[in-house]
Amino acid sequence: MGIVKIFYKDDCPMCPVAKRLGQHLEAENVGVKHYNVETAEGLAEATFYRVMALPTVVVEDEDENGLGEWRGSVPKIEEVLSAVRNA
Amino acid sequence: METTDLNLFVRTSEETISDWDRSKIADALIRETLIDRDTADQISLEAEQMIRKSGVKVVTAPLIRELVNAKLIEKGLEGARKMHTRLGMPVYDVDSLILHPNKENANVPHGPEATNLTLAERIKKEYALLCVFSQDVADAHMNGDIHLHDLGFIDRPYCSGQSLEYIKRFGLDLPHSLSMAKPAKHPEVLLAHLIKFAAALQSNFAGAIGWDAINIFFAPYIEGMSDDEVKQFAQMLIFEFSQQAVARGGQAIFSDINVYWEVPKHFETVPAIGPGGQFTGKTYGEYEKEGQRFAWKLFEVYKEGDGAGRPFFFPKPIVHITEKFFKTQGHMDFLYHISDVAADKGNTYYVFDRGETAKISECCRLSFKLDESDLRDAREPWRMRYCALQNVSLNLPRMAYMSKKDDTKLFNLITERFVLATKAHKEKRAFLEKLLAHGEDGPLALLTMKRDGMPYLRFDRASHLIGMVGLNEMVQIHTGEEMHESKKALKFGLKVMAHMKLLSDKMQRQEGFRLVLEQTPAESTSYRFARLDMRYFSPASGRAVKGDIASGEIYYTNSTHLNVKYPMNPIERVTSEGIFHPLIEAGSISHVWLGESQPYKEALADFVIKTFRNTTNDQIAFSPEFTTCNTCHQTGRGLLDTCSYCGSANVDGITRITGYFTKVSSWNKGKRGELTDRHRVGGYFADQKKAANE
Repeated sequence: MGIVKIFYKDDCPMCPVAKRLGQHLEAENVGVKHYNVETAEGLAEATFYRVMALPTVVVEDEDENGLGEWRGSVPKIEEVLSAVRNA
Repeated sequence: METTDLNLFVRTSEETISDWDRSKIADALIRETLIDRDTADQISLEAEQMIRKSGVKVVTAPLIRELVNAKLIEKGLEGARKMHTRLGMPVYDVDSLILHPNKENANVPHGPEATNLTLAERIKKEYALLCVFSQDVADAHMNGDIHLHDLGFIDRPYCSGQSLEYIKRFGLDLPHSLSMAKPAKHPEVLLAHLIKFAAALQSNFAGAIGWDAINIFFAPYIEGMSDDEVKQFAQMLIFEFSQQAVARGGQAIFSDINVYWEVPKHFETVPAIGPGGQFTGKTYGEYEKEGQRFAWKLFEVYKEGDGAGRPFFFPKPIVHITEKFFKTQGHMDFLYHISDVAADKGNTYYVFDRGETAKISECCRLSFKLDESDLRDAREPWRMRYCALQNVSLNLPRMAYMSKKDDTKLFNLITERFVLATKAHKEKRAFLEKLLAHGEDGPLALLTMKRDGMPYLRFDRASHLIGMVGLNEMVQIHTGEEMHESKKALKFGLKVMAHMKLLSDKMQRQEGFRLVLEQTPAESTSYRFARLDMRYFSPASGRAVKGDIASGEIYYTNSTHLNVKYPMNPIERVTSEGIFHPLIEAGSISHVWLGESQPYKEALADFVIKTFRNTTNDQIAFSPEFTTCNTCHQTGRGLLDTCSYCGSANVDGITRITGYFTKVSSWNKGKRGELTDRHRVGGYFADQKKAANE
């Protein structure tokens, strides 16, 4: 199973949609980590992943190999689930 | 009057010998401090009694002042003592300064002018710590929690970015100068104006003077010149800058020239200024070919080096690599050309302006991303003058010693120090505002001139820099691993920098002035912090500082760089170091230490393209090493003890110290330790070539 990382901030228009996606994924028993780029932890992680647009959704396997990423947009849950299950 | 009075004389600071007069002590106390007449009289009486008891016949004014200061302390009048104190240096220090070179800044030669500069700097430094900054800021600097850069230049801003357009449009019309020159009609005259203006600016700024888009702005003057004439002109420009060693303290002007192969988008449709300060009727976009011709010839000169084949130390050429660069005809030829220079002499700096970002680079690393108002200014490029008022660096490893692996303590300490650094900026800002308020009659007259209707120094747009030293050691002390050792350690370093970035954004909003992070060049600061931490935080510091403790050649790793000693291939290094760069708004760099090898230009060009496309690194430079012979005046590769041409031992090693080339003999001990440790990667490029051939 892959892990999903969602990068957001409080005042970006599409970020609430990404956060809801995270909740739906959690309901499907997918591991989701939320990163607010206005915190040191979140900004550090976002910098590491070269996040330039928000929201960004990244899917990785346990060894942090990339399985899928959506930058500046929110994917459909099926797309994320497909990437997660490819791990 | 008693007979003893007649025998007691005072050597005054006005170089005269006066009769003893106690009332002068009281007068000085009342003039310089806030104490009352009675206390002043009492102190002067007590000081007189001390002198009489000693039986001395001639006393000096400084001695009397110190005796009075002792009395002030006895009476608990510490505030008055600070106001009454005298600034200066012990004879021993002056003696050794006159005899021995200053190694704090490798760009200061040794000689009478340099001694003057250093002596003046010492007094201004003391003045700054006593009178400009509050006690807590000054103490934090003194004990090495933070470093206030260029304290010896407290009465001027730190560094600046300039536009040639200003002198093209307004000529050389400086406040209080003996003559006024109208806008230049000929290229050579414009060059003379540029050099003189740069020297004048050097007297008004502590550090670097950078010139934006130099080849583009010279282009209208170059039209009609033959290729040979352009080469000659390029040679004049570089030699004039590099030999300008008669200005401040015999110090060459720390100068950068920004070069573009393309005409930057923000100058494309801007009306060009030509001879006589007149608009030529064309836009800069129409001068692309002339700009390219000049850029090409400048690098031909860099390739040849100086009369002894050495690399030019100044001006540093900064080439902007942009998306448009790759769309401009001839860019690969130019990239090979400048990479040939990088491989051979090392001069070229590659600055990466990705996406639609336009940047101006000016100082060692300082660069500005142009915002909307800057881009509006670009329509009238003579407005594009920028500066940073001051640079304050934080000693990161120290905070790790103090927080004893406790995350909360560590991040709280970073916040505390950051707030203190911001306070230091406010204090310097207030001091400079006071000086600037005197206008053209004041000490910073040049910066207040209003040839285009606004003060030359655009104070409201000035930046205030927060630098950092030893992120790698901070992470090492706190987590047990250096940043190259694990992803976890690297990410912890990122978290520290992210915290600082968020702090700078917040403080900027709060204070209402531009506050940005910069990778401190830390030529002497990384040594100073390491030395002070060895004194205060031993034995923990002994396990963290880099270099050789036995010889005292110790240092902390610069800014957010990775351990220089770790054998890492250069693409890995520029990628890992580049991860930090988006957080450091005012500029960053990664160094590629070449050692004695001379890679193929194709290998370096390929490396540059990969760095632009695949990393977030802001800037790179390749640094070869040289040995230049003072006997036969030839220059060879590598740092050697003897000349490889004539065998003479009278040689100088040359390589990049932080942001510029200089002679190794002038380096401080910390930098010498780093030089020994640097992992040279010249072999990597040779292997690449070999692999490509196979």
